[in-house]
Amino acid sequence: MASLNVRVVSAEQVVFEGEASAIVAPAWDGQVGILPGHAPMLALIGSGPMSIERQGGGSDTFYVAAGVLKVERDNVTLLTEYASTEPPTELPESAVVYAEDVG
Amino acid sequence: MAGDADVKRRIKTVENTRQITRTMELVATSKLKRATDRVHAARPYAEALHEIVGGLYSPELSEQYPILRRPEETKRAAILLLTANRGLCGGFNSNLIKQARLLIEKLRGEGIETELHIAGKKGVAYFRFRGEEIATAHTDVGDAPTSDDAERVVAPVRERFENGDVDAVYLISSKFVSAMSTPPHTRDLLPITGDAEASAADVYILSPSGDMILERILPAYIRNAVYTALVENAAAEQGARRSAMKAATDNAGDVLEHLTRSYNRARQAQITQEIAEIVGGSAALE
Repeated sequence: MASLNVRVVSAEQVVFEGEASAIVAPAWDGQVGILPGHAPMLALIGSGPMSIERQGGGSDTFYVAAGVLKVERDNVTLLTEYASTEPPTELPESAVVYAEDVG
Repeated sequence: MAGDADVKRRIKTVENTRQITRTMELVATSKLKRATDRVHAARPYAEALHEIVGGLYSPELSEQYPILRRPEETKRAAILLLTANRGLCGGFNSNLIKQARLLIEKLRGEGIETELHIAGKKGVAYFRFRGEEIATAHTDVGDAPTSDDAERVVAPVRERFENGDVDAVYLISSKFVSAMSTPPHTRDLLPITGDAEASAADVYILSPSGDMILERILPAYIRNAVYTALVENAAAEQGARRSAMKAATDNAGDVLEHLTRSYNRARQAQITQEIAEIVGGSAALE
């Protein structure tokens, strides 16, 4: 079965790296779902939870804020300024600007 | 004997010094390990970001975004110097300061005005002592720099570039080649020079648009360049300190050996002399 190779990267570290059957990420204009075979894409992301559906079932959830999502040949890279399993207590300054300007 | 006590005291002093330098060496070694991990952890983000920016960049965009502007001539340049907050790390700080001084001289020789932005106590202290004007000074970046630290350091410089107050920004920091090799390095932070890579705009679905994405991630790109430099600098500092403290510890060992030898020799000489006196005395009695 086709799968996605997902990486969630913040400036300080790689938060998640692994295979997934699908992901749902908070793009600037709403949730975006990515399945294997997705066309190449670059999208700004807003802030909110993203979920990564694991191959064998189950899912991981990360909270992300501000950044960019890149999809290319089933490789998904999400670069973000905030990524954690905990929701942020306060949004990074740049993410607030995002919400106002873009959203 | 007076000479004896002197040598004995010196041996004690050197032993104490060696104890301290050895401890500092060990501390630097363990900090170096963590700092190196941070350098490696920061690489994937930097690489991915570089790829995206390189893909989206096109020279036509320069007119739209102040951060991408390309001044035709450079009248005023900003120098962003990153040094350590602490000394006792060999030539680490002085190498960086020297690099900055040479760059300032070179730019001034070309008739370009300069302004200094410094992160790190050592750099700030040096240029303040020399009576140079320092535009911004940050002395609160710790051993484990964060992205927020980078933002604080770079924000004023970026703003001045966007407003057209400066036409170029140079970043001086140490490259972390290995723990033993940490050469100072100057890189052009701004204006951004696009890569020759083909534009990605026509193959990717861009949401919302190439321009918008670029506008959002460029500040992150600049910040990340500084973050990477801060992290590498922190690792380089620990590497330099470890080498310097190792050299000091080894040297203290040599000095100790030398001192112990002269102490023993003096003691031996004294004993020999006493024996000679006793023998001489008893011979006189016979």
